[in-house]
Amino acid sequence: MGRQRLLLALILVLSLAAVGAIAKFPTRLGLDLQGGTQLTLQVKTTPAVPTITPEKLEGVQQVVENRVNGLGVSEAVVQTAGEDQLLVQLPGVSDPEQAERVLGGTAQLDFRTQRQGTEAQLGIEFQVRQELLAEQERLKNSTDQGAITENQEALRRSDQAIAALFDKTELTGDKLRTAYAAPLSNGSNSWQVGLEFNDQGATEFADLTKSIAGTGRSLGIFLDERLLSAPTVEARYAETGITGGQASISGNFDSQGALDLSVQLRGGALPVPVEVVENRTVGATLGRDSIQRSIYAGLGGLLLVLIFMGIYYRLPGIIADLALVIYAVLTFAVFNLLGVTLTLPGIAGFILSIGMAVDANVLIFERMREELRAGKSLYRSVESGFYRAFSSILDSNVTTLIACGALFWLGAGLVKGFALTLAIGVGMSMFTAITCSRTLLLVALSFPGLRKPELYCPNLSNLTQEKASS
Amino acid sequence: MKLNVIKQRSLWWTVSLAIILSGLISMVISWTQIGSPLRPSLDFVGGTRLQVERDCTNPDNCTEPIDPAAVREVLAQQGLANSSIQILGETRQGVSIRTTSLTPDERVQLQSALAENLGRLNPQAIQIDSVGPTLGRQLFQSGMLALFLSFVGIAVYLSFRFQLDYAVLAIVALFHDVLITIGSFSILGLVLGVEVDSLFIVALLTIVGFSVNDTVVIYDRIRETVKLNPERHINDIVDSAVNQTLTRSINTTLTVLFTLVSIFLFGGETLKYFALALIIGFTMGAYSSIFIASSLLAWWRERTGKLTPVAIADTEVIDSPTNPNDA
Repeated sequence: MGRQRLLLALILVLSLAAVGAIAKFPTRLGLDLQGGTQLTLQVKTTPAVPTITPEKLEGVQQVVENRVNGLGVSEAVVQTAGEDQLLVQLPGVSDPEQAERVLGGTAQLDFRTQRQGTEAQLGIEFQVRQELLAEQERLKNSTDQGAITENQEALRRSDQAIAALFDKTELTGDKLRTAYAAPLSNGSNSWQVGLEFNDQGATEFADLTKSIAGTGRSLGIFLDERLLSAPTVEARYAETGITGGQASISGNFDSQGALDLSVQLRGGALPVPVEVVENRTVGATLGRDSIQRSIYAGLGGLLLVLIFMGIYYRLPGIIADLALVIYAVLTFAVFNLLGVTLTLPGIAGFILSIGMAVDANVLIFERMREELRAGKSLYRSVESGFYRAFSSILDSNVTTLIACGALFWLGAGLVKGFALTLAIGVGMSMFTAITCSRTLLLVALSFPGLRKPELYCPNLSNLTQEKASS
Repeated sequence: MKLNVIKQRSLWWTVSLAIILSGLISMVISWTQIGSPLRPSLDFVGGTRLQVERDCTNPDNCTEPIDPAAVREVLAQQGLANSSIQILGETRQGVSIRTTSLTPDERVQLQSALAENLGRLNPQAIQIDSVGPTLGRQLFQSGMLALFLSFVGIAVYLSFRFQLDYAVLAIVALFHDVLITIGSFSILGLVLGVEVDSLFIVALLTIVGFSVNDTVVIYDRIRETVKLNPERHINDIVDSAVNQTLTRSINTTLTVLFTLVSIFLFGGETLKYFALALIIGFTMGAYSSIFIASSLLAWWRERTGKLTPVAIADTEVIDSPTNPNDA
């Protein structure tokens, strides 16, 4: 009995520790439970970058992380998924459009030089574009869908016309170290945008500015094939270009305009284009509602199982119930300790595992009853019930784990959560069913008052009497 | 209660075949109607689902239920006429719209058009699911692969723990469960428009992992009985093994069904059909273990003459038309 007492103490300590762990470590809730946006970004290849190497993917991840930080979302997560995808989780984002625009905007930043003799044309095209933009503002509040589409078409044509006036250069956004907005020191309300290039970028920028300084032609800064800004370079830089890798763009910027441009410049340094291929957004209210429902579902399921086991299997059933509650507490503690993110399917996996967890006990108790009916003593029956049911328990759990493995390995996002919670549940249930129920049952047997066979198998005495009389 | 599984096996086989066949017919009908055996959700084909709710903090906003016709008009204006609309909630203040894949800009446009026509929307209750068509295909393919791999994994494990024919027949029983679940959802798709999403594949995998349990337990018992009584006829052994494990099969399935019914009733929209798929699959799993897997094993062993598959050493006995070990 000494070993039993030791195990009992262990179970007690584990349960208490589990309760402590649940209280101490917060449960990590998935975005579908707390509300938020999850975006999957597909990294795309270009003629220049035909394959996505892990380094490239890492580079993209870095940029996306910077952009996410720019959004000011706390506890955002950016992780790679597969060979060419990024998963971005933005908890509590109420403006998924902004997130999509900033992250998924295929935003590739590059610097271009204006072609000779296009100065007048650029002015005209610029004017056309301003008018179209103004019209777009007006149309935003109208319901005339035809006009909106037409306006967007015209804008696209205008963007293309402007892009046709510039020549591409080697200088792209990945050579830009940073960009920032700052007020102009001349006391007016104007702002400027500062640029800082890395070494290679600095050389290229100097060459570029040298070639157009004083010509009246402009340096085109393009984000995603669209002209962001077209500053000209003063004649005094015609000798050397703007050297040192630092420059500033001043012009008609107000603070917001300067800030927007600097954010776009900073975030624009994507080595390859990306596209938002999946967006799953759940509002905060809906998330809270889901948690509420999950709690009801979990408690409802648990209660039904507890009642059933208690009524059908009597004393062992009640012990199994105790083991089941310990199971639920331990498993939940493991979730918290491992930092498993609970999602809706994950909770379903957990609730389901409560139903499955009693399977081992059912197997054992059925065996136990058989042994009792065969006339074995109570203690022997309990022992061989556990012993003989073990191979079935092992086989059935391994097959479930195989399915979980396939799900975890190949599944994405939410599916992984389900597989993980179910697998942890199955593993824990084997432990509690075999160790907890067994110890508790043997401890119960040590009380003479609980050593009545009827408590383990109803109608047993009738059965043996029948046997005797027949 | 005593079941005569072997005697009535043609009855059980007919029942199963009939259910599977009706599912297959439904899949064919579904194929001719929508070009797919089951109604796929946007998880697999790509698309955008936008679910919005009116902001009811201002009671004037929510005086009447949302009018589907008004929503349809908005969609038509946006060039999204063939989208599906579903009005949600007890007070009919929410609407779920399923369209083709929208770009963020297009979606924002739709949202503002909806807000204009329906009144202020609650930003806390918005739900967006947008999946690109390529990603949808990927999700489907990796799901199918996962399903296939788990079949292989279970077959390998079982042939290692038991024997090859046990494993093959257990897989047959699993196919039976999966086919019936798929068939049921094909019918549900035709009748109620129920869609299958990636959670459905998760459900299928869980069914595969769980339903084989019952079969394993029965096979375990058959193996044990064969070992103890090598002279008994296989039909007899299977019958008593099924009956000995029957209470366990029913009780285990019951406890799992308790939790599933609880999820089905209280778990909310997302998990509802997930739970239903599991309810169908698990019930079929218990049924097929008792009536199909066991009777198939008896039939197979009888046919091949391996009536006393005692130990691994005996597996090298070559099938013979007459049974040398018959008692």
